[in-house]
Amino acid sequence: MAETTTDPMTDEADDGGLRRSITGKQLFFYTLGDVLGSGIYVLIGLVAAAVGGAFWIAFAVGVSIAAITGTAYAELVTKYPQAAGAALYVNKAFGNRVLTFLITVCFLSASFAASGALADGFASYFATLWEGPPALLVTLLFILALSIINFIGITESVVINMLMAFIEIAGLVIVMVIGIWYIAEGDADFGVLVDFDTGDTNVPLAILAGVALSFFAMTGFENTANVAEETIDPHRSFPRSLIGGMVVAGTIYVLVSMAAALTVPTDKLAKSDAALLEVVKTGILPISNDFMTTLFSVIALIAITNTTLVAVVTQPRILYGMANEDVVPGVFAKIHSSRRSPWVGLLFSAGVVGALLVVGTFAPEVEGTSLIERLSLVTVLFLLFIYTLVIISCLKLRGQDEDDRTFRASTPLLFVGLVGNVAIFGWSVYDDPTSLIWCAGLVAVGVVLFLVEYFLGTRSRPADVERGVPTTESRGDL
Amino acid sequence: MHVVVATDGSQQSLRAAKQLKSFADPTKISDISVVAVIRPLAAVAFADDLSPAERRKADLQAGGFRAAAQSAVEVVASVFEGWGPKVHERIRSGSPATEIIKACKQLNAGLVVVASGGRGISDTVLVGSTAQRVQHYAPCPVLVVRPAPRARKK
Repeated sequence: MAETTTDPMTDEADDGGLRRSITGKQLFFYTLGDVLGSGIYVLIGLVAAAVGGAFWIAFAVGVSIAAITGTAYAELVTKYPQAAGAALYVNKAFGNRVLTFLITVCFLSASFAASGALADGFASYFATLWEGPPALLVTLLFILALSIINFIGITESVVINMLMAFIEIAGLVIVMVIGIWYIAEGDADFGVLVDFDTGDTNVPLAILAGVALSFFAMTGFENTANVAEETIDPHRSFPRSLIGGMVVAGTIYVLVSMAAALTVPTDKLAKSDAALLEVVKTGILPISNDFMTTLFSVIALIAITNTTLVAVVTQPRILYGMANEDVVPGVFAKIHSSRRSPWVGLLFSAGVVGALLVVGTFAPEVEGTSLIERLSLVTVLFLLFIYTLVIISCLKLRGQDEDDRTFRASTPLLFVGLVGNVAIFGWSVYDDPTSLIWCAGLVAVGVVLFLVEYFLGTRSRPADVERGVPTTESRGDL
Repeated sequence: MHVVVATDGSQQSLRAAKQLKSFADPTKISDISVVAVIRPLAAVAFADDLSPAERRKADLQAGGFRAAAQSAVEVVASVFEGWGPKVHERIRSGSPATEIIKACKQLNAGLVVVASGGRGISDTVLVGSTAQRVQHYAPCPVLVVRPAPRARKK
């Protein structure tokens, strides 16, 4: 279990009473596991299709922008180490309740869409092991299973988290080894790494498109704010682990994209649902192809599961926070009596993700956009909006609540990150305006919850209690 | 004797504390440690159902789950105010059962008090609850306070 170390800051007064449990190393692997699982297993084919053989550049640019955003998070976490994240920072910076509500809903929506995209990626790799069941059924059962696991609380094991991160890294190391082996055999054509196959679009725009598509792979680091509160010595370890995790993830991404580009023709990557599997299928390593394919599929499934679990944990947590703020019905603050899980929030979240998957499967496709592409784009739009506001909040909150231990992000870099986030956001909306309809649909879920609380929540509220003050009745759990 | 009273922020854990007070002899207890465990990777790291509503809201906004745990510990500790034994408040972080057992070992506890919240199938069917695991692995006697039958109103 978690290594419990004494926290020097809070421990003096109480002999070992106040303890935190997440070490810097665990946080590093939490970040790495969360980021790595999200995209590269799922999206590499789409990015290759947009850019051509040089698609590693898209990953490099994307992860740089994400890492810069990570420095803003690191600065804000060292100032406000509560487990609250973007909504708290934006609230501190702007003090505007509507904006705070919007950010919270966006974060929740991003998490819903991400779960959907990841579930779809899970189904793609699952189909390589067993083609029997339809993808929709696999995705729905996957989400259901993760919600049950979350309810039971198995996800809480730090050891399992570390183990999953290691497995994810192992999968990507396999791809890199294949690349190195291929180069060592002398078959590699390095020309492909600078090959742009962008159709009619010019190169910078194609790269931007690739970044927009690959950006899903960079997300996930924002969830580390969840455990900030329980990190030992957060001022030192948080910036180091978060940014370190991003840099390592970025390096792995670039190397993996290069390996994939060298070993598999770009058009084949582009057409594949489980693109990294194509690299393994090339049979470059002198190991049984069947064995490697199965092994790799299992690794990919574990990687995707790990990242989805974090999303599934985040959703009811956000709903719980909102219910305590009285902006969604109090029933979301309901905690199961013995398992201490917010079971209503869990069920509701699973329902929303399930609905997304069903709608996405049966909605008419727009210009051949697949479900996974759609949902990952929706996630990215929400997150880019949040990232942009977090960077602005970071700059706006300069000079406030600072002490010697506060991590300070580089200001010029923050501006670069700001421009980058806005550029990707702008391109994504321009390229695929339909995504906005999906975004609106998800935000509407949050607004409906607010309206339900606003109009029906008052009934259980005593006349003398103002909105925003939770009452025992409105919590519904006592 | 040092008694560890665990709280997960539930009403049941408060009842467990009162149960202890209802029969135990305060002259035989030297210390009481009220222990709350925060679960960093859980959906809700600590849910405080004990403090007044305003306090809960303020906790979540200002101090996060750690403040919520602190408030819950204070409510449970207040049960033993003026009873005799010295009362300590402790917040730990990690897996609840593991941390409660660790606390018992470190404090050389003579008794640990836990609440068992479950009435229904979830406790019997699903992987062991905190109370079950504490019962199995605690280094000292365990008092498990079970909920009253459902028929009776709280």
